[in-house]
Amino acid sequence: MKRRVVVTGLGIISPCGNNINDFSANIMSAKSGVRRISSKYSNLLSVKIAGEVDFNPLDYLGKKQVSSLDRVSQFALVAASQAWKDSGLSIDMKEKERSGVYIGSGMGGANTIEEEYDQLFRHNADRIRPFTVLMVMNNAAASHISIEYGLLGPCLTLSTACASSANAIGEAFRQIRDGYVDVMLAGGTEAFLTYGSFRSWESLRVLAVEDPDDPSRSCKPFSKNRTGLVLGEGAAIVVLEEIGRAIHRGASIYAELLGYSSTADGVHITKPSFEGQARTISEALREAGVSPKEIDYINAHGTATQLNDLLETQAIKKVFGDDAYSVPISSTKSMHGHTMGAAGAIEFIVSLLAIKNQAIPPTINLDQPDPECDLDYVPNAGRKDMKVNTVMSNSFAFGGTNAVLIARKFER
Amino acid sequence: MSTLERLKKLFINKFDFNIEELKPETTLENLGLDSLDKIEFMFDIESEFKIKIPDEEFKVVTIQDIVDAVDRFISEQIVGSPNPAMEN
Repeated sequence: MKRRVVVTGLGIISPCGNNINDFSANIMSAKSGVRRISSKYSNLLSVKIAGEVDFNPLDYLGKKQVSSLDRVSQFALVAASQAWKDSGLSIDMKEKERSGVYIGSGMGGANTIEEEYDQLFRHNADRIRPFTVLMVMNNAAASHISIEYGLLGPCLTLSTACASSANAIGEAFRQIRDGYVDVMLAGGTEAFLTYGSFRSWESLRVLAVEDPDDPSRSCKPFSKNRTGLVLGEGAAIVVLEEIGRAIHRGASIYAELLGYSSTADGVHITKPSFEGQARTISEALREAGVSPKEIDYINAHGTATQLNDLLETQAIKKVFGDDAYSVPISSTKSMHGHTMGAAGAIEFIVSLLAIKNQAIPPTINLDQPDPECDLDYVPNAGRKDMKVNTVMSNSFAFGGTNAVLIARKFER
Repeated sequence: MSTLERLKKLFINKFDFNIEELKPETTLENLGLDSLDKIEFMFDIESEFKIKIPDEEFKVVTIQDIVDAVDRFISEQIVGSPNPAMEN
């Protein structure tokens, strides 16, 4: 007997705002969170743009906590606390064993590893910070959240690059659906805007060239003149609950999570496969019991690389047929950048906000349409007063791992 | 500044304590610091006072214990040969 799962709380830290209301307002008003990076090492980089989060951890956390948490965990804890508060959740001792946390992250404690290894390699330090291991380890964020809220069920960290937090949410959904737990905090976090990271990504030659007129316009998904992805950082967490429990306590419900599929292309470590993407979309629709016609909005993976945007367009066409031309699709990476491990969760939240607001956020910087990407990408301006019941969020990662989530407005 | 003053300053910079909480007889347990916090804090003390604290030697319970240990290490290490690791 498969149980039904709903979303009852949201929390976010992002280049477009450090709470749900600000984030929602900013993406709907087409505000870009991409800019020239503020770090001192930017003069050493050839790519100087990113979606940075403007965040002072001491605004949210105590000094002791801040000094024992990498930025990636700081983001996650703050987003989790927003989601928890938003959901109005309180769980008793018995329920704690039936509550868990799944977090996606691609790179874990990137800042700490770089700072401490720098001490070791460049400064010959004979000791580095004792907390290094604990701050760098990929499971830190999930564990800290589990400790903070006393969540004693499964506490896992999923790492599938750009699909990490979509997988985290999807797998958390299955945990509740299949009866293992009743409540899950799920989402992702990434804070990898470090010198080493930037240089690594530069070497891969997938980063966008800075827009000559306006750095904030550098991420151009689905545009003919797109040049690649813009790195971002942030965290997003949702509260998932078994439906009976949520209704019984009078929770506000954002949407019901209907479908999730998780696949691998099995083709290439960077090049996506449109068949793999199409298959993932089809499987998610099948599980959700939803036909393509019923999808009112797709939040695309839309990284603004030549290949992804082209293949994602083809994948949507393969599954939707002619209906592909009637569904609004946007890549909000154009505004918040590619937040890697946090992307799936941030973009799932974008999709839920589309339901909440009955409005669709744009793909910004779309001035030169690409004839090969000829679907409705909601160019440059958001749309209000739309009918948005059922939404789909795509995540297609390096390594060929794909995840698609489908959610529907909940009517009592 | 005395060792005690420098130590109090370190504590306040690192944790959210008030200066009144930090008396010589205050125990680390009172301050809510566990063994893991102590290890981390030792690292900051080593940096601040430019000393090396061997793992076995840091059996401290109160703030005054820390002050005494620090003073002892400072005097021992000035008397001993210069530590090349300190020359950064």
